[in-house]
Amino acid sequence: MILYTIKRLIQGVITVWFIATATFFAMHGVPGDPLMTDKAMSEEVRKNLDAHYGFDQPKWKQYGIYIGHMVQGDFGISFAQENRRVNDILWEHFPVSAFLGILAITFAGLGGILFGALTARYRNRMPDIVIMFLVILGISVPSFVFAALGQLALVKLNAFFGTSILPVAGWGTLSHMIAPSLVLGLGTMAFLTRLMRSSMLEIVSSDYVRTARSKGLPTTRIFLRHELRNAILPVVTVLGPSIAAITTGGFVVELVFAIPGLGRYFVQAVQQLDYTVIMGTTVFYGAFLVFMVIVVDLLYGLIDPRVRLE
Amino acid sequence: MTAVIDQVTSALLEVRDLEVEFDTYGGTVRAVRGVSFEVHAGKTLAIVGESGCGKSVTVQSIMGLIPSPPGRIVGGTAKLRGKEIVDGVTADGEIVRGSRIGMIFQDPMTSLNPTMTIGDQIAETLQVHRGFSHSQALRLAVELLEMTRINEPSRRARQYPFEFSGGMLQRSMIAMAIACRPSILIADEPTTALDVTIQSQILDLLRDLQQENNMAIVLITHDLGVVARMADEVAVMYAGEFLETGTADDIFYNSAHPYTVGLRAAMPTNRDESEQDLMPIDGSPPDLFAPPPGCAYFARCPHAMEACRNDPPPGFAVGSGHMTRCWLHHADCSRRIEDLHYAAAAPLEGRDA
Ligand SMILES: Nc1ncnc2c1ncn2[C@@H]1O[C@H](COP(=O)(O)OP(=O)(O)O)[C@@H](O)[C@H]1O
Ligand code: SF4
Ligand SMILES: [Mg+2]
Repeated sequence: MILYTIKRLIQGVITVWFIATATFFAMHGVPGDPLMTDKAMSEEVRKNLDAHYGFDQPKWKQYGIYIGHMVQGDFGISFAQENRRVNDILWEHFPVSAFLGILAITFAGLGGILFGALTARYRNRMPDIVIMFLVILGISVPSFVFAALGQLALVKLNAFFGTSILPVAGWGTLSHMIAPSLVLGLGTMAFLTRLMRSSMLEIVSSDYVRTARSKGLPTTRIFLRHELRNAILPVVTVLGPSIAAITTGGFVVELVFAIPGLGRYFVQAVQQLDYTVIMGTTVFYGAFLVFMVIVVDLLYGLIDPRVRLE
Repeated sequence: MTAVIDQVTSALLEVRDLEVEFDTYGGTVRAVRGVSFEVHAGKTLAIVGESGCGKSVTVQSIMGLIPSPPGRIVGGTAKLRGKEIVDGVTADGEIVRGSRIGMIFQDPMTSLNPTMTIGDQIAETLQVHRGFSHSQALRLAVELLEMTRINEPSRRARQYPFEFSGGMLQRSMIAMAIACRPSILIADEPTTALDVTIQSQILDLLRDLQQENNMAIVLITHDLGVVARMADEVAVMYAGEFLETGTADDIFYNSAHPYTVGLRAAMPTNRDESEQDLMPIDGSPPDLFAPPPGCAYFARCPHAMEACRNDPPPGFAVGSGHMTRCWLHHADCSRRIEDLHYAAAAPLEGRDA
C-alpha cells in the first residue's frame, strides 16, 4: 500500500508536469500579446517583466524559467489586476471553490447512494419510476440551466413567503451555500444514483447475499454489511472523475450565483487574457484534480481488501 | 398419493406436497410440483436430477430463500421435528435458517462476501444466533476452521475470500454453515465447481462432520457417483417431481423407474468395458411453463404406453420405503418390471454389493 501510494504520487507529479507544459505551449499559441493591452506600458515595466519572465529570450528558455518558478510554487503576478500575485488569488479564492465543491460532492455522493439504494429496493415500483425519471433529467440537463432555474425558484419561493428563505446569490453564510451546492451536485448525483441502482440490483441477487440470508441474518445487517458496502465500490471508483466534473461545473455556478470562487476568476482571466492567472489556475486545478484522484483511489483501497492487499 | 408413502414419524424434517412457481415474462414456471420427503438424523438424503429440474428451488423454499417475487410457494408444508417452518422460522419462533439448518452452495468463489474476512463471516452467524460477543465468536470461528481442516486457522480467519482457494472456500462455507451446530446441513451441489481431488476431500469432510455431530445431510447433485458414495436415501427428481425415492440400494440395484435406469446407463464408471456402454438419454426435459398432462418422462421414455400420455402416474410403493411414479408398476400393467433392467447393472464404485 505504501509502495503503491509512492508510485501513484510520482505518476501524479509527471501528470502535473504534462499539464504545465501543455498549458505553457497552448498559451503561447494563442494569438495576441498579453503585454499589448490598451494600457500603454512604460519601458521600465516592460524591462522588468522581460527580466523576470525572459520574454526577450527564445521559447525554450521561457519554458525553463516558467517551470523553474512553478517548482518553487511561484505562479507570478497578474497582468490584469494591479499588484496581485497569482498565489494570492489562489490562496484567497480557492478555499471558496473547494468548500462549494466539497458540499456538492458530499450531497451528490450521499444522495446518489441513498436514492440508488432506494430505487433498487423499490425496483419497478413508484419510487423507482419517479426517481429514475428525475435522474434522466439530472443527467441530460446542463448545470447552467439548473443554476438559472434554481435561482428563479428561489426568487419565487422568497416572494411567496415574503421573506428571504434562502439567498438568491452571494456567499458567506451556510444559507448562501445550500442552493449553489445543490445545483452543482445535481448532475453528479443523478449519475451516481443510476450507478448505485444497477450496482445494488446486481448485489442483491448475488450468491453471497443469498449466503447471508441462508445464515438467518436480520435484514438490516444484510443490507449494511453485505449489500451496501459492496454496492458502494463502483460509486467510489467514479468519485475521482466526478470531482473533476463538479470542479468544471463550479466555474459556471460561481458566475451565476456570484460566488467569489476561483472558477469565476479563471473565467474572468480568460476573458482578459490574463496570462499568468490562466496558467496558474490551470496548473493548480490540474494538480488538485490529480491529487484528488489519488486520494479517491487510496480510499477505494481502504474499502476493497482485494486492492489494499495486492 | 401420499397414502402410499410410508409415514415415518421419527423424521427430523418432513416435507409434504411442496409446490413452487415462478412468475416470468414467458409465463408461470412450475418449478416444483408436489414433492414429499423426509430427512432422518445422521443420514444423508441425496436429491439427484438433471440441471433445471427443481432441486435448488426445493431446498431453498424450505429455507425461505425463494426470491419473492418472482417466486411463490403455492402449496405444501415443511415441518422440523413436527413444527411447521414458515419463512425460515418454526411455528413457535425457533430460527431454522442458519441455526437449525445450515446451507452451503455450489460456487464457493462467489458465495462469500468479498469485502469481509472469513473469520468475521463465520463469527457473524454465532453473534446473531447465539448472542456471542465479536471476540468470543471469532475465537469459535477459528475452532470451526480447524474442524474443517484448514491449516493455520487463526491467520486464515483474518484473511479475505480472494486469498483462499476454491476448496478452502468451500471448507470455510462448511465451517460457517455448521457454526450453530445445525441438525441438518443442506449442501447444494457442494463439489460441482471444484477439482476432482478437492471434491473427494470435501465429501470426506462432510461425512466425518456428519458422524461426529449426528447431523443429517441433504445433498443435491447431478452426479450419481457422488450419490453412490454419500447417500443413505435417494430421491430422483425430474421436471419438478420426485419420480423415485428409496434407499441408495433400492435406487442403484432395484431401480423401479425408467428414468433412474436411464440415468444409471448414462453414468460413467471407472470400468473400461462399461464406458462403451454409456447411453445418454435422448431428448430434453419438458417445458415447465406447460408440464405434460400425463407422465413427465413420457416424451423420453422407451417404455411409454398410451396411458402415460394423459394420466399422471401416482406413487406406487414397490418395497418398504421405495416409491416410484410409473404406470409400469400398476397391477394391470402387462409389462414386467424386470424388463426395465436392460442396462448392465455393473457394480458401482464406492458401494459394496
Ligand atoms: N428466480 C427464478 N426466476 C424464474 N425461474 C426460476 C428462478 N429460479 C429457478 N427458476 C426455475 O425453476 C426451475 C428449477 O430451477 P433449479 O431448482 O435452480 O434447478 P436445479 O435442479 O438445477 O437446481 C428452472 O427451470 C428455473 O428456470
Ligand atoms: S409412466 Fe409411462 S412414460 Fe412414464 S416412466 Fe412409466 S412407462 Fe415411462
Ligand atoms: Mg441448482
